Amino acid sequence: MKTEIEYFQNNLFMKFTWMIGGEAGFGIMTTGVLMAKIASRLGYSVFDYVEYPSLIRGGHNAYKLTLSDEKTHCLQEKSDILICLNEETWKLHQTQLKDDAVVIFDSKNFIPQSTKLFRMLSLPMGKILKELSGQAVMKNTIALGASCALLGVNFQDIDSLLLGQFEKKGKEVVEYNRQFAKRGYDYVKDNFNGLSQPILTENKNQKQLLVTGNEAFALGAVIGDCRFYAAYPMTPSSSVLTTLADWQKKTQMVVRHSEDEIAVVSSALGASFAGARSAVGTSGGGFALMVESISFSGIAEIPLVVFLSQRPGPATGMPTWTEQGDLLFAVNAGHGEFPKIVLTPGDVEEMISLTAKAFNLADIYQLPVIILSDMYLSESHNTIKQSILNKIKNQYQINRGKTINFVDDEKYLRYQISNDGISPRLIPGFKEHYYQSNSYEHLQDGHTTENGDERINQVKKRAAKINTYFKNDFSAPLIYDDLDKAKTVLVGWGSVKGILLEAQKQISDCAVIHFNHIYPLDKEKVIKLFNENKRYVLIENNSTGQFRKLLQTETGVELKEKVLRYDGRPLTVQCITEKINKHES
Amino acid sequence: MSSIKDFSGYAPTWCPGCGDWGIGIAIKSALVQLGLTPSGIGVVFGIGCSGNMNDFLNAYAIHGLHGRAIPTAIGYKLANHKIPIIVVTGDGDCYGEGGNHFLHACRGNHDITVIVHDNRVYGLTTGQVAPTAMKGALSKSTPYGLIETPFNPLALALTQGATFIAQSFAGDAPHMISMIKRAVAHKGFSLVNILQPCVTFNKINGYQYYRERVYKLTDNKIDDKDETMRIIREVEKEKYPLGIIYQNQQSSYHEQLPQLMNNSLIKRKRFSDFKLLEKDFI
Repeated sequence: MKTEIEYFQNNLFMKFTWMIGGEAGFGIMTTGVLMAKIASRLGYSVFDYVEYPSLIRGGHNAYKLTLSDEKTHCLQEKSDILICLNEETWKLHQTQLKDDAVVIFDSKNFIPQSTKLFRMLSLPMGKILKELSGQAVMKNTIALGASCALLGVNFQDIDSLLLGQFEKKGKEVVEYNRQFAKRGYDYVKDNFNGLSQPILTENKNQKQLLVTGNEAFALGAVIGDCRFYAAYPMTPSSSVLTTLADWQKKTQMVVRHSEDEIAVVSSALGASFAGARSAVGTSGGGFALMVESISFSGIAEIPLVVFLSQRPGPATGMPTWTEQGDLLFAVNAGHGEFPKIVLTPGDVEEMISLTAKAFNLADIYQLPVIILSDMYLSESHNTIKQSILNKIKNQYQINRGKTINFVDDEKYLRYQISNDGISPRLIPGFKEHYYQSNSYEHLQDGHTTENGDERINQVKKRAAKINTYFKNDFSAPLIYDDLDKAKTVLVGWGSVKGILLEAQKQISDCAVIHFNHIYPLDKEKVIKLFNENKRYVLIENNSTGQFRKLLQTETGVELKEKVLRYDGRPLTVQCITEKINKHES
Repeated sequence: MSSIKDFSGYAPTWCPGCGDWGIGIAIKSALVQLGLTPSGIGVVFGIGCSGNMNDFLNAYAIHGLHGRAIPTAIGYKLANHKIPIIVVTGDGDCYGEGGNHFLHACRGNHDITVIVHDNRVYGLTTGQVAPTAMKGALSKSTPYGLIETPFNPLALALTQGATFIAQSFAGDAPHMISMIKRAVAHKGFSLVNILQPCVTFNKINGYQYYRERVYKLTDNKIDDKDETMRIIREVEKEKYPLGIIYQNQQSSYHEQLPQLMNNSLIKRKRFSDFKLLEKDFI
């Protein structure tokens, strides 16, 4: 048996996982994010994930975060600290603990029973609450203080965080929170000082931001000069709406919560026609309602950015859980034939840069651009270095393609035939001119037509955008590590990126191919990444392997092996390594 | 100065005798009389015989999807609130397919003018009943008679907060011109419901039917909701008031957005002070 000191020395805490669970409605998520912010401020890379039911009260909430002094891409399976605000947490999560984990509970509430050598820390949360006449939700803050004491955080760091978090609500609120954190902190210092280790001491890393995928989309939209955002709340996309709405006075964006998703997308198309960069956000069910308008955007050639954050369907499905189940739906969304672009960022950094890019693509190609996220990417926080955000911001150039504010010619044709498929788009208002954007098939000047030749001309013109996109803006999938030397290649798209990168470290001679420009796919650039002498394994968070079908249709490449998960939970490194190793042995 | 000719696109394809001809002329006349030009207005057309005006009326226009003209127009207005935005729609488009948008646009008092061609049938799909059709109406989709009672757009607009409600008749061009001018000049959501004979598919509610049943409002208290509701309920007795039924001046939606105080959304400078946003993430 290892002593505590040896345990901490051996692990060196390159990676550390902290988890808190309790009844829904008691501030678990808020506390979790406070913990993540402390780690982020101290310079550690953080990734978190929250499990919660589609309820406001009752049910179980759990929040988990992994922090590291190296870039962390996803959660560790097993936790080093588990805080049980109720017995349910212990029952559900005791199997996800490292052998020497610290378990925090209140012995007045329940006593965890285990044959394993966990280090048990009874924290009298109930007693402290009573003494300070606190509400039940303050248990979290006591536990936060206790956790910080265990991890060697200076109380000053907690103090300044609480000040930043609650100062808008007044000094009393700051002080109120502070006393609970202090009691938890002091209790550990006084009674369990032996367990306390300097894990979260100041790291010399650069300044970081802690953002979710949804917040990353919001940042990307602001960088991309989005001026109009409309949405109808739908988990897991809603926090884009609330974030952008909150920023309105600063950004001067018009952010509108419309009566339904059809109004949402229609108003965005109206604003975009007028000349404002516009976007909408939703999840699968809301997107289903928008689909007719996606087709309208296609034929009328009105730029539009759509943020589609997936959750398990069909229908209402499992609203607060995760899945990559809408890839083919997004790719095929809209009746009739017209080009669109679908992007699948793999992490918050890609979310920011690809969102900003999406606004350029929508303007350049005058079509709908869909950004696919999912609950896992949308709601998980990840740290991003401020220097990286600055770089994205500073390198971004607005490119509106053939958008024009005036015309020299006497005659202006909105849907003029061109080799690259793109016609000049005049922003409405220029004097002596006018035109219509038409949802009917139209002549070059926009008037409705049913003439066969004119129809063919317009179909070909719109379709030609795809080749122009391949030439100028398509980006081949990113390769991680040496593809030539690799024997095993993990293939994925979207939010699985981080999990693939962590799994890769545990598989010998392994490379990763990650697709973020997922549709349309430039066959020539993609096909050469696939070679018969390697073992390719497709990793997807759905039940049918949708990307496998897409890849085969678009490029002819067929992937035989796959790891699929569709229980509403994110994939894990273990899911992948088990499959790879099983096959090998 | 613009002329009717400036606003005239292709020659209309409406049936001879259709009420839409009169509405088309009235819209163009009203725009000319208001001193507007095709490049200075935005028009959003719905889908239907009314929406087919897209090819006959010149403007910076959108011919969008069935039922979605109103929310499209709202987005257009918010992006460029300096120009008048007009919706040309029909009873099926606006009160059926787009009914939800209609009532929410009233609530929002969006500064757009909605001109509804109310002919009580679906003309473009060959004459099925529309939401405003009378109970018992026979049509291809209701061969045994319509079960529902008629949709009352005026009552709905009033109760949902529209600030300008007018009704006119396609057989009375000067009246339509006057109503459309007043509606476009009104700041806030304005509805002009135009009773429009469909000579091909609606054999009941024709010119003769309306001439016998319309009456012009004089001296009605246009800001009195109780009186207005009494007038609106006359339609239940097949008496159709023409004129401004209700008007009340209130701030429109875009006037209540601080970000649109100085410039239109499309004209303002790009936002660049990211420091303001970053502190939320530290």
